Amino acid sequence: MSETLPGFRLTQPESVDQAVAAMRAEPDSRFLAGGTDLIVNMRRGLAEPKNLIDLNGIAELRSITQDVDGLHIGAAQTLREIGEDEDIRHRYCAVAQACDVIAGPGHRNVATVGGNLCLDTRCLYYNQSHWWRKSNNFCLKYKGDICHVAPVGKRCRAPFCGDLAPVLMVHGAEIELAGPDGRRRIALADLYEEDGADHLRLAPQEFIVSVHVPPVDAASVRSGYAKVRVRGAIDFPLAGTAVLCNKHDNGSMVFVVALTGTNSRPFLLGGVDPVAPGQNLDEAFDQLEKLVQKQVSPQRTTTTAAHYRRLAVAALTRRLARELAADLADG
Amino acid sequence: MTSLLKHTVAGKPIPLIDGPEKVTGKARYTADLDVCDSLAGRILRSPVSHGEIIRIDVSKAAELEGVCAIITGADCPHTYGVIPIAMNEYPLARDKVRYRGEPVAAVAAVDARTAERALELIQLEIRELPAYYTAADARAPDAVPLHDEKPDNLEREVHNEFGDIAGSFASADRIFSARFDCAEVNHAQMEPHAVLAEYDAERDRLTLQSVSQVPFYVHLMLARCLEMDTSRIRVIKPFVGGGFGARTETLNFELIAGLLARAARGTVMMRLTREETIITHRGRPETQVDLKIGFTRDGRMTAVECEVVQRGGAYAGYGLVTILYAGALLHGLYDIPAVKYDGYRVYANLPPCGAMRGHGTVDVRHAFECLLDRAARELDLDPFALRRANLLDAPSRTLNDLMINSYGLSECLARVEAASGWHERKAAMPPGRGLGMACSHYVSGAAKPVHWTGEPHAVVNLKLDFDGSITVLTGAADIGQGSSTMVTVAAADILGVDVARIRVVANDSAITPKDNGSYSSRVTFMVGNATIEAAKRLREILIDAAATKLDARPEDIECTAETFSVRGGEQSMMSFAEIATAALADSGTITVKGTFTCPPEAQGGKHRGGAVGSTMGFSYAAQVVEVAVDPDTGVVSVEKVWAALDCGFAINPLAVEGQIEGSVWMGMGQALCEETRYANGLPVHAGLLDYRMPTIVESPEIEVHIVESNDPLGPFGAKEAGEGALSGFPPALANAVAQATGLDIDDLPLTPDRITEARIAERRKRRQATNRKASE
Repeated sequence: MSETLPGFRLTQPESVDQAVAAMRAEPDSRFLAGGTDLIVNMRRGLAEPKNLIDLNGIAELRSITQDVDGLHIGAAQTLREIGEDEDIRHRYCAVAQACDVIAGPGHRNVATVGGNLCLDTRCLYYNQSHWWRKSNNFCLKYKGDICHVAPVGKRCRAPFCGDLAPVLMVHGAEIELAGPDGRRRIALADLYEEDGADHLRLAPQEFIVSVHVPPVDAASVRSGYAKVRVRGAIDFPLAGTAVLCNKHDNGSMVFVVALTGTNSRPFLLGGVDPVAPGQNLDEAFDQLEKLVQKQVSPQRTTTTAAHYRRLAVAALTRRLARELAADLADG
Repeated sequence: MTSLLKHTVAGKPIPLIDGPEKVTGKARYTADLDVCDSLAGRILRSPVSHGEIIRIDVSKAAELEGVCAIITGADCPHTYGVIPIAMNEYPLARDKVRYRGEPVAAVAAVDARTAERALELIQLEIRELPAYYTAADARAPDAVPLHDEKPDNLEREVHNEFGDIAGSFASADRIFSARFDCAEVNHAQMEPHAVLAEYDAERDRLTLQSVSQVPFYVHLMLARCLEMDTSRIRVIKPFVGGGFGARTETLNFELIAGLLARAARGTVMMRLTREETIITHRGRPETQVDLKIGFTRDGRMTAVECEVVQRGGAYAGYGLVTILYAGALLHGLYDIPAVKYDGYRVYANLPPCGAMRGHGTVDVRHAFECLLDRAARELDLDPFALRRANLLDAPSRTLNDLMINSYGLSECLARVEAASGWHERKAAMPPGRGLGMACSHYVSGAAKPVHWTGEPHAVVNLKLDFDGSITVLTGAADIGQGSSTMVTVAAADILGVDVARIRVVANDSAITPKDNGSYSSRVTFMVGNATIEAAKRLREILIDAAATKLDARPEDIECTAETFSVRGGEQSMMSFAEIATAALADSGTITVKGTFTCPPEAQGGKHRGGAVGSTMGFSYAAQVVEVAVDPDTGVVSVEKVWAALDCGFAINPLAVEGQIEGSVWMGMGQALCEETRYANGLPVHAGLLDYRMPTIVESPEIEVHIVESNDPLGPFGAKEAGEGALSGFPPALANAVAQATGLDIDDLPLTPDRITEARIAERRKRRQATNRKASE
């Protein structure tokens, strides 16, 4: 019943290679950065690794740089550092906005971009104490064989609730991973799988080293993030929407939308048509709202009704797209 | 007790005397107490909602190394509870479990991990029974009773009627009615539950330190459940991080810790998790209010009929008081010629409810003030005008025989009406914004304590010793509300000394006089009056000593700013230290006592349950709330609040202001987003992530107005200040939301999804109406 932290060893590597080696030496390990997700889950008996590998001492993981290829963020950069970066606030507005609305200031001081991208999925039947889950015969995601949200289904419906993934996705981010087989770079969108019990396509023993975001032309691109939640702080997204609006030289406008909090993975909205010059923007906004309503699939994983989450995130997408387009029109 | 006295300290804002420790982190709360040789206590909780206990096998757990004691229901055959006629709870379940999370066994071990491993080794066999999570299900004809003596799962029914109901409704021009559903809420006090129990096996004595608001009741229940003489028990209350009613009765973990410490013949520390703290519950019950009010055309109420159903949870707790309060406090705010009340307190397989800030009145007041607004709209009256048409006179007695000696509601209304710019701004609200208002009131302590002994309602001792310091000894539990500061101010004011000369020692049964505890806003009124009386006694002694020393008559001695003199004459001035030395020379250490007893005429009507709601004086409040409602998400933002409270007299205006802000803020939580949710009896909300209290982001500007009506019986004229403004907030907000959205929503809280659903329902209704018209 208690929330006593189980015992573990702590390894503190100073380089990516040492971290990889530490994982190879003790496969029953978990990587630790801010700890705002993992440690809470460990206290609740949702993970009992023998060893924690602390990534905070690796210099390579702690930097923000910009060059002709765009923005490069080390995975152990804190959300506060990213949110306060002037250039990110200016060019990658959605990224800064998302950082600002994650949890509370205390969390943002330690929580990291890598941790937020690898956030565990969340469900009211999962994020509970050991006593609670045991009394409920556990669940499909952990130690049990039934999904209490969709009992007839065979897969876990716990949604991914990270705020950063969608904003980085609309900006076309890639991530660099390190593991026993060396390093590789993938599109951020490819990190995720629509399976609440196994939503990260990481090879065993892999971790995120850095995030790379292509350059942005501040004159023609606007991005933003809006979050459905009951309170103005602390809450995970009941649903979240990132929108990027790109105005091309020929006057056409392209909206890129990514969603979080509704499915087991954050995903890019499909089927969005570019808006031709002179075309009625309201029709485009209507289309966006309908597409979001159709493509998100919130379940009864929170105390707030799934139907509401669907409607609200679609309405916020529409509002955000309209605001960004208006901002671009104003120049 | 008149405020015509020239005050030196009272009435001036001073920071709470225990503030520095709290803000610097030096304050030691129960969980911070020294535990170097204590065992860790842990509780095994029922995994099912309702069932018969067939077997509890602790043998494997007992074999685990490091386990020092294991107890089960078999170790305590005594029930406990706060109401002497309704004690039906065991510290650890015996025979039956009635809610998920009910304690069934407990372990003391060398450390927390060992204790937890031991819990996993206890084998529990329970035969499950049908479980009920709504009042309606529990009241169904074929429902299995939770308690054999209540076959219909009704803990208490209340039926009373005052005035000519039928005649008064018949004389109404218009009658309005509605059903309101208010969700269950929890106190969510900042400090989770904790207790340290030290058993002295040599002397068979127990010392228990706990988070209680009512150390005296804890003392009594420990004696009862441990079969110990009360003289062998000592109860101490360290710093407490909030109560709000969660701790106004003895709680199971306190008794379990005592039992465990004795079984282990040592010291046991129990620190409950937030989840366990929330499961221990005692919050405000889920409540359904059916309300009907008759009005004349000019807004005068003719009659009120109200039915209340409370889902009380699995045990009695304070339940019968809550359901009585809900009816009794229909009275006392407005002048109503006839009132009929029917209350039903229902058992269900959920954690027991109890007392919570605004005990009994909040949900009913919500319904009442919402319905008044709807009536005002239909009658084409301003909401302020409608309230003004129904004001009481003071002094007077209500239909149910409650005593009203002071009544500042009229001034509260005037203050918030002017401050909010009500008339100009109400009419000019843009779409999506609204202004709403409501009134409320609350008792200044229950005039008849739940545990009747015949003793005074409050006793305070003052000690003056060789060092010239004055020590106030009180059993009043400061739980953050500022009671220790209040007694300091009261004593300093009467004695004409600096507050720094006064030290408060509170809540150690071995040292301080008994006090019933901090609940029903009783402390300022009762303990304040007792402090004033004690201070006056000490003052007399000092003045006599000064008179002797200065060779003057006692009535000519003045004492201000720690200086005694003959009618202020400079040549006769003597310092406090000189006079104290002189007084002590006669008798040695001086100890005086002050008491307070509520007058019999304050103790309520003769009808059954008439003592509940009775008080020496009511606080009165009016508030205006301005909101904006997001058209896309349904999120309600509170833009500003204007709150006026009649607290009789503000002994410490800074603390009063804080209490009003706190009341508004807590009412805002219940109005906007706080609610408990259960999945087949398992609390889904058992953490501060899912039990959504507002954060500082949601906190609006609160403009506080203090109104002073000078209660003739109050200490310096004071009444309560900590609860009265709470119950007006939810209806003021709902009334503002009604203007902003055009929707009358009958449920609390007004979460974004409820508002969105109401919008959809309204659109559907309109569409159907249009379709009907088209097809006609």
